[in-house]
Amino acid sequence: MLARRYLYALVAAIVAPGATYADEVKLPTGGSIKEVDFERHIMGLLSKVGCNAGSCHGSFQGKNGFRLSLFGYEPAMDYANLTRDNLGRRVNTQKPDESLLLQKATGSTYHDGGMRFGKDGWVYNVFREWIRSGAKWTRDSGEIKSLDVTPGDFALLKDAKPLQVTVKATFADGSVEDITPFCDFKITDDAVAALSPLGLLTPRQPGDAGLTVLYRGSVKAIRVLVPAPAKPGAYPAVSEVNYIDREVFAKLKMMNVVPSELSSDEMFLRRLYIDALAQLPTPDEVREFLKDKDAKKREKAIDKVLAHPLHAAVWATKLSDITGNNTQALEQPVNLQPKRSQMWHDWLRKRVADNVPYDQMVRDILTATSRDGLSPEEWIAFVKKIDEQTAKGPKTDYPNKQTLDLFWRRQQQVPAEQWSEKVAAAFMGVRLECAQCHKHPTDRWTQDEYWAFANVFTKMTFVQNQFSSPDVKKLVDAENAARRDAAPKANNNNNILLVRELFVGAQARPRPNPGTNSVPLPRALGGEVIKISPTEDPRVPLAKWLTAPENPFFAKSFVNRVWGHYFGVGLVNPIDDFSLANPPTNARLLDALAADFVKSGFDLRKLERTILLSRTYQLSYVPNDTNKFDKNNYSHAYIRPLMAEQVVDVLNAALGVDENFTGADAEFAGMKMVEVGSSRLVSSVSYALRIFGRPPRTTACDCERAMEPALPQTLFRMTDQNVLLKFNSATGRVRKMALSKATNEEIVEEAFLATLSRMPKELEKADAVEHLKTAKTRAEGVTDLVWALVNTREFILNH
Amino acid sequence: MSMRRTDCEGFHRRDVLTIGSAGVLGLSLPAILAAEAKAANKRDVASTGKAKSVILLWLAGGPATIDMWDNKPDAPEGIRGEFKSIPTNVTGIQLAETFSKTAQVADKLTVVRSLYHTIPSHSPATVFMTTGNKPTAALQYPSMGSLASKLLKTDVGVPPYVTFGDIRNGTAGLAGYLGTGYNPFVIEGSAPQRGEGKAATGGFSVRGLSLKGTFTLEELEKRDSLLRKFDSGFAGADSSNDLVDGLDTFHQQALDILRSDKTRKALDLTAETAATREKYGATPFGQGALAARRLVEAGVRFSTVSFGGWDTHSQTFTAHKTRLAPTTDTVVSALVSDLADRGLLDSTIVMVAGEFGRTPKVNKNSGRDHWARSMACVLAGGGFKKGYVHGSTDASGMAPATEPVTPDDVASTIFRNLGIDPALELQTPTGRPIQLFREGKVIEKILA
Repeated sequence: MLARRYLYALVAAIVAPGATYADEVKLPTGGSIKEVDFERHIMGLLSKVGCNAGSCHGSFQGKNGFRLSLFGYEPAMDYANLTRDNLGRRVNTQKPDESLLLQKATGSTYHDGGMRFGKDGWVYNVFREWIRSGAKWTRDSGEIKSLDVTPGDFALLKDAKPLQVTVKATFADGSVEDITPFCDFKITDDAVAALSPLGLLTPRQPGDAGLTVLYRGSVKAIRVLVPAPAKPGAYPAVSEVNYIDREVFAKLKMMNVVPSELSSDEMFLRRLYIDALAQLPTPDEVREFLKDKDAKKREKAIDKVLAHPLHAAVWATKLSDITGNNTQALEQPVNLQPKRSQMWHDWLRKRVADNVPYDQMVRDILTATSRDGLSPEEWIAFVKKIDEQTAKGPKTDYPNKQTLDLFWRRQQQVPAEQWSEKVAAAFMGVRLECAQCHKHPTDRWTQDEYWAFANVFTKMTFVQNQFSSPDVKKLVDAENAARRDAAPKANNNNNILLVRELFVGAQARPRPNPGTNSVPLPRALGGEVIKISPTEDPRVPLAKWLTAPENPFFAKSFVNRVWGHYFGVGLVNPIDDFSLANPPTNARLLDALAADFVKSGFDLRKLERTILLSRTYQLSYVPNDTNKFDKNNYSHAYIRPLMAEQVVDVLNAALGVDENFTGADAEFAGMKMVEVGSSRLVSSVSYALRIFGRPPRTTACDCERAMEPALPQTLFRMTDQNVLLKFNSATGRVRKMALSKATNEEIVEEAFLATLSRMPKELEKADAVEHLKTAKTRAEGVTDLVWALVNTREFILNH
Repeated sequence: MSMRRTDCEGFHRRDVLTIGSAGVLGLSLPAILAAEAKAANKRDVASTGKAKSVILLWLAGGPATIDMWDNKPDAPEGIRGEFKSIPTNVTGIQLAETFSKTAQVADKLTVVRSLYHTIPSHSPATVFMTTGNKPTAALQYPSMGSLASKLLKTDVGVPPYVTFGDIRNGTAGLAGYLGTGYNPFVIEGSAPQRGEGKAATGGFSVRGLSLKGTFTLEELEKRDSLLRKFDSGFAGADSSNDLVDGLDTFHQQALDILRSDKTRKALDLTAETAATREKYGATPFGQGALAARRLVEAGVRFSTVSFGGWDTHSQTFTAHKTRLAPTTDTVVSALVSDLADRGLLDSTIVMVAGEFGRTPKVNKNSGRDHWARSMACVLAGGGFKKGYVHGSTDASGMAPATEPVTPDDVASTIFRNLGIDPALELQTPTGRPIQLFREGKVIEKILA
């Protein structure tokens, strides 16, 4: 085959004199290429026109007998498959236009993938010229040293003028080439600017979007800023409370965007309570707050909620999501799984309530063991105490345990690579899963780095009949034998609560990189090889590396989560997707928050306080002319949906009732939804949680919590029997109001304060009073009124 | 699939809202907003494809199909069950004697005897069978019903996907990565007791889709007009907000649904003759299946009716004789013949399956334990062969002997018959492209 190609080339050289000289190919962005290079140009185009996508020839099975490496990471394979496979029909150096590659891609011959480019375009010419000049490959000619995008950090599209993005690559041989047309460009929000396939940006409306440039596995991202039209007159002075405002307002000023007014007291208090407590302020709390003349009353309110017991419960709920407190994945017996989830939740809640430094908390999760260094006897005694407590109710001493071993204790063995993915997502905000099978398409992680990181997690042992020492085994065996004897005969092991131990054994089971079949040594993600003796726990150096002040991910990923919680949109968004392709909207602010958080000794309470005190947090949701399109620069408060748990608690608060936990959930009676750890509830509340998107916590992705509204949510508030029953509760607010001696005006005010946390406007008050007057009974009138209020959009959204 | 970046070009969110492609129940807001939800992308089932709807009769707990659809009276002692085989109305096809009514509709069925997978545990096996994707820890796959609700057009006022009660306490049958908007509408209540019209007590209703007791439509309209007076100020403050607009769209839809009596009428079994109701049997399973047939007529795309109690670790044969087989036999035969009589069978797929089979070897308690390596399922209607047996198991029923197929293959074939390419790609919330059924292949031989 090879010989024949040489022959063709020879013949071509003879019959077509001059053909050995390359024909220049003109590029659409200006300039031309003298010599088409396989790696630099052909491989770039294979990605750009989509040939090597996962759904096409990049699939591991290939497509229709033709396989390319996914996203083009293996030039050798691709070259071989293009030039030799299929009897060499794919490229025909003699008659380039008859090459199957060109015939298929232009749709001249039937192609499942449709037409990828036309016959008269520059892409065709590049392919054709490469084939015509002999379809050659110079190994490593396209090895990239660096990629430079112009403009650099951001593209500012002023005065409605388009802007061409250019990309230059520096290759290993030192040569520099403008490879703009060979890159793939993506924009996160094309309402802000239109982006042509060749990198031309045309502004559409004021805003801020991410632009990603992909060139053969290298990724660069910049931000695209379209400023609002400059207003005549000076940009107004906006007062700043702290460095958050300084950074937020500086960027807004650059974009000619003026922040909204400060929120009203009513708006502020409601937002604060929903965010920090998953509660509404009571009517009396709103009244008192409005009356208070103290200039520092907002600060006082902030300190009050941050010290409130429910505040820690909100974070325990969020951290339960982050750490994967999935009730169904916990140890059997099944009936004890919700109790274990509760211990997990309460352990986290205690850390937040005590304001344990975040790095300490994470170390106590990452390096957890069952024994925490206790003697076998002490440990068994502790386990027995907890087990006795769980039989009685949801409160146990588990939160007093030093480390959260439940994080690692799962019913089924978890492969090392799933632990590493969970840890990366939870504590670094990095999504690794792509790199399991191929280099991450929009990030730096290679398969080797993936498996090296996975191999940190190969030494935990949590199986029946294995313990950290013979002494422990003896004691546990005796205890478990007693428990088996005491259990009813019909029970199998799955129904008996047995003592098991999570510990780090000497035996590691490292996994090979399936791409190379070699076993990478354990390494922190993007860090050094972890060198330890066989008896040591590799999680300890990992935790040290992770929580070190200089770690590039740890502080940033957490401050971003906290920011996302209070604003609805992360500085990096999605909040757990830190990657090369996804730069923060305000890098200076993210850096400042992270630096402050590290400097404070990872003090969560202080971080929250700084955020809540900022003017940025306290802005009104009502936009002005300049900021109405803003979705990610915090120029006004964003109207946003509530988390499922907030929906349940806020609705109950409005109606003045407790959640009706029944059946197996009965032990949670009297608790707020954010205080419940279990992800698997069985009573009526489970329906609400499901339709409002509470996550089952199976995957390590923030996206599992569905925040998008859906029709059943609207129907739920309007017609659901369990909601309507709460209107009729004998101890609930609606009944109390109906029976009270208050005037119609007083009732209306109370109803508005209890639901929307604000006074009714004059017209609203008149309409509501009129309704109460004309209702057949007061009970009916009050029910109608409260029903109408909880079914408003103002009620079900945070703003 | 074409290059993604061109998908969204020139498409404005608010256009979609005003176009009103959102008239479909069960869509989530982002789906309405996203260009993907362009009505054109949804398959119009009325114009192409054989099947329009699916009824899944779910035998929860893992049915011993070796005593049902793949009876082995000639197997060795300790494997063969207590039941003889009987002939059916198709020469050469035999079923267990406990399915004598189903035997009379065998000419309308495809019996797949070579189905298998490898997960003998209820939860993940249920997920596998109801999603057509092997469960993984990294991703929650959507159930077939949720996929149908995303990919098939449904009329306004009708839920696309319903389940009668929850599957596995609401842990299966869900929308997974598609998002909560594609979860099933849950049907509550029970069939009306004997009596006609107003004399009937009880009845089915879709949770959230019906008004009850003193909360009448009149009452709703009254409350809604009050609500309108309080709702406009907030919306007016931020007039360009997608979320605020979207919720108003949902509010309008909710009112449309509550005003429409399509679904309520479909669920009113008193509209059926006594003879028809009796044919399905006076069991929740039977009356649910009848209601599912009525929902198909109303335009529902996917209904799941569950019948539990199949986890027979002991006394399998007694349970089959007294409880499981008579009910199932009645329901399957009634549903299939009723659909056929009404001319609906060609456009409706019936699937009868559970999460796995049970051990060919009978245990010491005369029971059978979990066994996923061989199982049978029944398919009928829309696009499937009639009077056909696909594949076989070995002499002792331990594993497929010919034509092995997996849950992925069955799901792929069902969607192929709904006119949807099983290799169609959807995107997960993290932007990962993923095929409907990653490992599924259409079972060509069972296509009509």
